[in-house]
Amino acid sequence: MSATANPAAVEDVQPAIESRRGLLRRELLRNPQAIIGLTILGIFVLIALLSPVLLSQDPKTKVGSVFEAPSSAHVLGTDGGGADMLALLVGGAPVSLIVGFAAAAVSALIGGAVGLLSGFFGGKTDVALMRLTDYVIVIPDVPLMIVVAALFGRSLTNIILIIGAIYWTTTARLIRAQVKSVRERVYVKRARALGAGNTRLIGRHILPQVAPLLIANTVLLVAYAIFAETFITFLGLGDPSLVSWGRLIENAFTDDAILNNAWWAIVTPGLCVTIVILGCTMTGQAMEDALNPRLRVGHLSVKRFRLRPLQGRLDSE
Amino acid sequence: MTGFDYVGKRVLFAALTVFVAITLNFVLFRTLSGDALSALRCRQCTPQFKAYQRHELGLDKSKWVQYRMYLNDLAHGNLGKSLRSEQSVTTELWPSIKNTMPMVALGTFFSIVLGIIVGVITAWRRGTFVDRAGLYSGLGFYSMPPQWLGLLMVLFVAGALGLPTSGIKDPTLGILGDASTWDVLVDRLRHMVLPALTLGLVLYGEYALIVRSSMLETLGEDYVLTARAKGLSNWAIVWRHGLRNALLPIVTLVALSLGYVIAGTITIEYVFSYPGVGLAVVEAIDQRDYPILQGAFLLLTLSVIVFNLVADLLYFRLDPRVQT
Amino acid sequence: MSKRAPWLLALLAAVLLAAGCGGGGGTTTQAGGDTGGKVVKGGILRIGTVNYIDSFNPWNYIESQAYNGFIMLYPQLVQYDFKNGKYEIAGDLADSWETSSDGKDWTFHLKSGTKWSDGQPLTAEDVAWTINTTVKYGAGPTAVMAPALAHVKTADAPDPTTVVIHYEAPVGNALAQLEQFFVVPQHVWEQYAAGNGKGLKTYRPEKDLSTMVTGGAFTLKQYEKKGTTVFIPDPNYWGQKPSVEAVALTYYTNADSMIADLKQGNVDWVDQVPFNAVDVLKKDPKIQVNNVPGAETTNITWNSNPRKDKNRELLDPQVKKALSMCVDRDKIIEVVFNGYADKVESLPGHISLYENKNLGPLEFNCAAGNQALDDLGYTKGSDGIRVAPATKDQPEHKMAYEIVTPTSTDFNINREFELVKEGFAAAGVKVTQKVGGDSTATYAIETTDNCDAEKSVGYTGWDIAMWDWVGYVDPDAMLSYVTKAQWCSWADAGWDNPEYDALYNKQGTTIDENERAKIVQQMEQMIYDNFVYTQLVEEQYIDAHTKQWGGVEPNLNAYAKMYWTRVHKVG
Repeated sequence: MSATANPAAVEDVQPAIESRRGLLRRELLRNPQAIIGLTILGIFVLIALLSPVLLSQDPKTKVGSVFEAPSSAHVLGTDGGGADMLALLVGGAPVSLIVGFAAAAVSALIGGAVGLLSGFFGGKTDVALMRLTDYVIVIPDVPLMIVVAALFGRSLTNIILIIGAIYWTTTARLIRAQVKSVRERVYVKRARALGAGNTRLIGRHILPQVAPLLIANTVLLVAYAIFAETFITFLGLGDPSLVSWGRLIENAFTDDAILNNAWWAIVTPGLCVTIVILGCTMTGQAMEDALNPRLRVGHLSVKRFRLRPLQGRLDSE
Repeated sequence: MTGFDYVGKRVLFAALTVFVAITLNFVLFRTLSGDALSALRCRQCTPQFKAYQRHELGLDKSKWVQYRMYLNDLAHGNLGKSLRSEQSVTTELWPSIKNTMPMVALGTFFSIVLGIIVGVITAWRRGTFVDRAGLYSGLGFYSMPPQWLGLLMVLFVAGALGLPTSGIKDPTLGILGDASTWDVLVDRLRHMVLPALTLGLVLYGEYALIVRSSMLETLGEDYVLTARAKGLSNWAIVWRHGLRNALLPIVTLVALSLGYVIAGTITIEYVFSYPGVGLAVVEAIDQRDYPILQGAFLLLTLSVIVFNLVADLLYFRLDPRVQT
Repeated sequence: MSKRAPWLLALLAAVLLAAGCGGGGGTTTQAGGDTGGKVVKGGILRIGTVNYIDSFNPWNYIESQAYNGFIMLYPQLVQYDFKNGKYEIAGDLADSWETSSDGKDWTFHLKSGTKWSDGQPLTAEDVAWTINTTVKYGAGPTAVMAPALAHVKTADAPDPTTVVIHYEAPVGNALAQLEQFFVVPQHVWEQYAAGNGKGLKTYRPEKDLSTMVTGGAFTLKQYEKKGTTVFIPDPNYWGQKPSVEAVALTYYTNADSMIADLKQGNVDWVDQVPFNAVDVLKKDPKIQVNNVPGAETTNITWNSNPRKDKNRELLDPQVKKALSMCVDRDKIIEVVFNGYADKVESLPGHISLYENKNLGPLEFNCAAGNQALDDLGYTKGSDGIRVAPATKDQPEHKMAYEIVTPTSTDFNINREFELVKEGFAAAGVKVTQKVGGDSTATYAIETTDNCDAEKSVGYTGWDIAMWDWVGYVDPDAMLSYVTKAQWCSWADAGWDNPEYDALYNKQGTTIDENERAKIVQQMEQMIYDNFVYTQLVEEQYIDAHTKQWGGVEPNLNAYAKMYWTRVHKVG
């Protein structure tokens, strides 16, 4: 992420009247990408929620021999410990998703707060917070996660915290830009002229306008968090008691799945991760698009895989 | 704001960030991890010996003094000594860096080439199924954890193409006699291909998008019609108008992608047992070799800062409207 | 920049393929096997391994592969050969030997005209110097090799081919002990013996290969700790010269790639086949898989330091036994070792002499284990986890512990941990895994930083670990690992039992085999009764090589130079 990619030049010319939430809903339902993304997410969240019901025992229980090929008994085969692959995937869903959502929430919280304060108060606060953001941005994420895991131990909370502490920067930038533009709007100025205090302004007028964008951004952050979690667990730094999809990939690697041609132990967990990330990315991008249709600057957003061209939307063709 | 002003500000900012990164590095490793000597593992080391080591490493002094010593060391290019091999960190890491750089360069090359191909095709066939397929496949690969893609490569591609799946060289090359440079080169390349290809695949999507956008911008414009009327071939149009515009954004994006490339490299090297910086970091953790970890972390952070600076300067060329 | 067609990439790949190809080829040859086949001299023996060499200093190493390196590079007085299904002492540097009538002096007659790799004469002086130096600094820098010279007072060299070792008492297993002893060149190493001898431990000969002096079947041509280490036959070697032109020992971080390379013919011999891969290899007609009884035992290590501060209920053998009875060792054999392991009760294992076959056996009976814990007063809480009642030493607390595991095992220790965790959970005890890092790091956790054997400081901060030991024919080494003398060195359990230590010294100086056997078995019983370890399984030792090679004798691994020198290509 660039240390200077500055959406300060963003000019949002949304009509002030229309509620952003309504706009979001309409745009989303029109957008095939969003529909697919939401469907994917919906399915996996459902599986995660239902997993205690779907699983009759601990998914790690040995129910067959090691690396059995997919058969009628075990639809997706067994892993290196003889446990049913499908059960493991269902069991891993809540873990992966919770880590993803929790870390994204932490990021969103930090980023949202920073962006809000920065954009609203401007001046020295803005400069200071943006400087801080600039410094955090250049820290390479995975090495930092590795270092923290090595120094502070591998626990779930550590993972969630460290992911959250790294990825808030783009959120902060985005929210800041949004807050700045909202702040200039007529009704906000009017409200202040009427004597509304800061808290009231933020709570009543700015936050509701900013929230949908924050949510859209958080969805994208979930993709990131799940991604990051697979990195950490693959390197053996994850919480050893948790079985997430990332952990399943790592298990396959250390159990010599390749040697045994047990492709089902490798392909399936990675596929789950990829699909969920795809779902988040598609939904998040669609949401952001709906809320910020006309970004005027060629803005390279590396982590989010978007090039906003100088004219027009990418998906409108 | 003049160009010179801008450049000056960016460089100053980068220098400041370097300083902050160095300080962060120190804080992380010395202060928070406790006594670095607790990581000095030697069996049968008497307490006196350990006290002696502690004194030698300056760990018995106050944190401020240690900080100054650290800065002083860095100024002399001294990153400390590995706890295991007792070689200097730079000596330990240098061969790894030499291995990683060509692999990453090759991977970036793949990603750009694939990006250009897919970008041109999707722009040319805009709105059709090919367009969607191209875009979504790019997005799809981007969404894959690189280590997983690497494993898939090993599983399905390596055997089919007869490529090695680990290390950087054939163990027996050059043992009994000297191997020719060509042999060595080919051997290295063969070992680099799969890791680089994995890296290339997860990255190309972004470049495809840039190329596509750039092409779409210019394809619709009038002077293209004029050019066609003049008889310029398709290739010429593609290059002169489409790709050339995309060049700068691509280079900028390469610089900006470093963070992700680092993450991908670490996991990919681990999968392929490729002896580069990524694998060195993973092993340093395993061995609790904190100086190596600290040195590698610092080098990686500095690289990101430098590359971001490059991107900033390029940005300025890209869009003169960018202001600080 | 012109648009490059994707087919060019494929073409490039094809070109690369056609060009450099690993040596050895994959053509099938017949017969070969391990004892037959026509010997074809020459060739490069490419060995694949997941164990790396961490050092070429016999006074400072941990990895077993380093030990193999020493065998090939340094002279030993004696080594083991494997004949007629048994291990027999054979000479290496020494041709013959005898003992004095009181058993305290051993005289070794060395081969004459022997040289180090740099051409300097290799004489009895070197042997005597190495022995004396090891003994002199045995409590410090040279402790790692000191057990091989237990009870040695001094050694001298009356002439260049005669060494006399003076023991303080008659030692029954002198030869077996000396088999673990390596001679280093005095003219290179004596400069490091100055002062407190610290230099002996920190000297790394491999740092400068041009000045590294060895005296064995091979010299070291190239060393890459995590890469390929190359050994070249030493023209000065006095024994049976190797058949090959070079040995390339390649370290693989990932067993999958190693086995794939074996199957593709990029590697000739894998010195330890991962258990998951055995069946796959057995189906391959080009590969010869050898399966012999092994020497490595895996265990649960209980922190047996009588001074440990927390969780002292784990010092009670009855508690440890009850918990151990809930561990399903058969399942471990099936899941972790693919069936290629056997249950074991004694610490030295099935491979060792005088194994006490009357220990236990440890039953898999969790009902009984639970009952025992109930009877001992560890009642289960509402969450199913037992609670250790308050004692004068410690407050009431849950029975929830961490188990430390190293990352450097040749089997999947995570899976083994899961099964132990499952077993303990059935007993109402919760355990979590703490990854200790590699060998050095894990050892450090067990011995703890301020370890001081004299002051009995150390072995705190952890309760349970899981690891393995590689046993030996003579049980002395293994038995020494639980003595107080090995605190802060080889000892990992922190046991401190003077009665046991006395027995250890006694067996070391007992000449009569039967007497010694009795003492050894008594010691094994003590270890078992105190549950210093819960022995889990003894791994079988499985290696594999392509059928183009013969002369491979897995039983000689870590015992003799013939392990490599007898290996040859097959015609």
